[in-house]
Amino acid sequence: MTAMLSTRDLVVGYETRTVLDGLDLDLPADAFTVIVGPNACGKSTLLRTMARLLTPRRGAVLLDGTAIRDLPTREVARRLGVLPQSPLVPEGITVADLVGRGRQPYQRWWRQWSAEDGRAVDEAMAMADVAELADRPVDTLSGGQRQRVWIAMTLAQDTEALLLDEPTTFLDLAHQVEVLDLLHRLRAERGRTVVAVLHDLNQAARYADHLVAMRAGAVVAAGPPREILTADLVRDVFGLDCVVVPCPVTGAPLVVPALTHTSAAPAATPAPAGASVGDA
Amino acid sequence: MTASSTALAGRSLLRVGPLTVPMRRRPVLVAVTLVLLLAAAVVLSLSLGTPYVAPADVLRALSGAGTPYDLVVLDLRLPRAVLAALAGAAFGVAGTLIQSVARNPLASPDVIGVTQGAGLAATVALTSGAAAVLVAPAALVGGLVAAVLVFALGARHGLAAQRFVLAGVAVAFALRALTEVVMLSADPIDGLRAQLWLIGTLAGKGWTEAAWIAGTLAALLPVLLWAGWALRSTALDDDTARGIGLRPVARRVGLAATGVLAAATVTAQVGAVDFVALVAPQVARRLVRAERPPLLCSALLGALLLVLADLAGRRLFAPTQLPAGVLTAAIGGPYLIFLLLRTRGRRS
Repeated sequence: MTAMLSTRDLVVGYETRTVLDGLDLDLPADAFTVIVGPNACGKSTLLRTMARLLTPRRGAVLLDGTAIRDLPTREVARRLGVLPQSPLVPEGITVADLVGRGRQPYQRWWRQWSAEDGRAVDEAMAMADVAELADRPVDTLSGGQRQRVWIAMTLAQDTEALLLDEPTTFLDLAHQVEVLDLLHRLRAERGRTVVAVLHDLNQAARYADHLVAMRAGAVVAAGPPREILTADLVRDVFGLDCVVVPCPVTGAPLVVPALTHTSAAPAATPAPAGASVGDA
Repeated sequence: MTASSTALAGRSLLRVGPLTVPMRRRPVLVAVTLVLLLAAAVVLSLSLGTPYVAPADVLRALSGAGTPYDLVVLDLRLPRAVLAALAGAAFGVAGTLIQSVARNPLASPDVIGVTQGAGLAATVALTSGAAAVLVAPAALVGGLVAAVLVFALGARHGLAAQRFVLAGVAVAFALRALTEVVMLSADPIDGLRAQLWLIGTLAGKGWTEAAWIAGTLAALLPVLLWAGWALRSTALDDDTARGIGLRPVARRVGLAATGVLAAATVTAQVGAVDFVALVAPQVARRLVRAERPPLLCSALLGALLLVLADLAGRRLFAPTQLPAGVLTAAIGGPYLIFLLLRTRGRRS
């Protein structure tokens, strides 16, 4: 596989705490990579460092082999789009205006608009299905619509790669699926490299081409979900006993937590035959 | 002008040589209206007073035809009206920049300590028997030093909005306390002069002060052209701004420094007529119905407001003259309240 984004000996921390300590990682081009791991494992820190929102203490993030800190931020923004975890919606801004901000890396104060800008913004709004909302103020939209608008903004940036920090958090299930479907289409139809941090293991398994499981600032396993997502891995990474069964819809691994003391109320129906608890 | 895709969100493209700027119709209309109103206000300001000069005579005097009113119109009233317009415009610019960086509609030069720095320096100059010509330069330096202090305090967090305002308020209070100490320990007459300076007035001022402000605004013009464009990203959070290839901290420092320069210059020349900087950007924003204060319209509105305030101060209780600083609050305040009530009514 060709790596588009890589990290070499990456050390990142906040004040006295070191979060990532010498991380080496290669993320494949033209794939949907999902990073999973327990809270505070450093997955968001990794994503934010790759997006140059955090500066590493040591080591480097490589974009197509070039250290990202050696590239002008404007050039990086033409190749790498970022959706932070909870971006602030400017008060009163309309959908078309916000999506248009994605064209910033192509604009100058004397050339604030081009035909190419118009094309990219229209296409991004169509792709994210927010074209009908173009004139609406973003702060009047629902959470799901709002998230699609933010994704449209990063699409308007017209980058080869897109990094998203927990893009489905705060969305209900239907909107989560909507956003993940959109990311899937970006990879499948547009050949974009997509990297996202997700909380839901089953969604990760369903959508990811490449799964990265992290614990305590280190990568425990990386590869296609069907190859690496096992009960052992889940126990190793999350400290949770579980059953892994094939998803009835997609056949991807489906993680079902085992009965624990706190959820020990007997189930009304017995566990399906053939399913075995992970520690068996 | 040509119309384009929905992506332009109702804007038309203005193309002049290499310049391409998407513009909405409304801000252009507001700007043109404000220019006309400003011209009318200036003519009115040259016309009213003792003696009264008919507007037609004012226009003839302005055209250089040579009238019996040349002394009153051109030498006595015109310098003050021009000063009012320039100072108001500078306050409007300063307020727009400072409010945008502070992300706070209540921010103005006195919230980030510039006014108090200028005030302290001016008070020291006025009460220590320094030459009168030194008061304005001292105030300019005082305002800039206060701003540097605020920047230094806010710098560790990249001049983030809240930190910037907090640092400003802290510095402002400390400097105000110092000013009171200086004033109270000074000769009562000097203290009174200092107090009048602090309120802000255009009385007895003219071309010299106007030239200072005009020079500064002219020098800042290239920066202001950039600022009008850069301002639109100040409402984005830093992560999003970095994601689209901006350097938000450098941008904030540049915009804030520009606002501080404008604020310190104009405060040094006319005193603390701060309310213009507070109210002009907010009223202009509502007039153009934008998500942030517009730079040009705020400047025009600031000019209009200060010309009217100075005129009202001269004429309302004539022969008693009220300082413009008192009148700006009296005119601008109620209008802002009116706009706030109207906007709320429409939203809900």
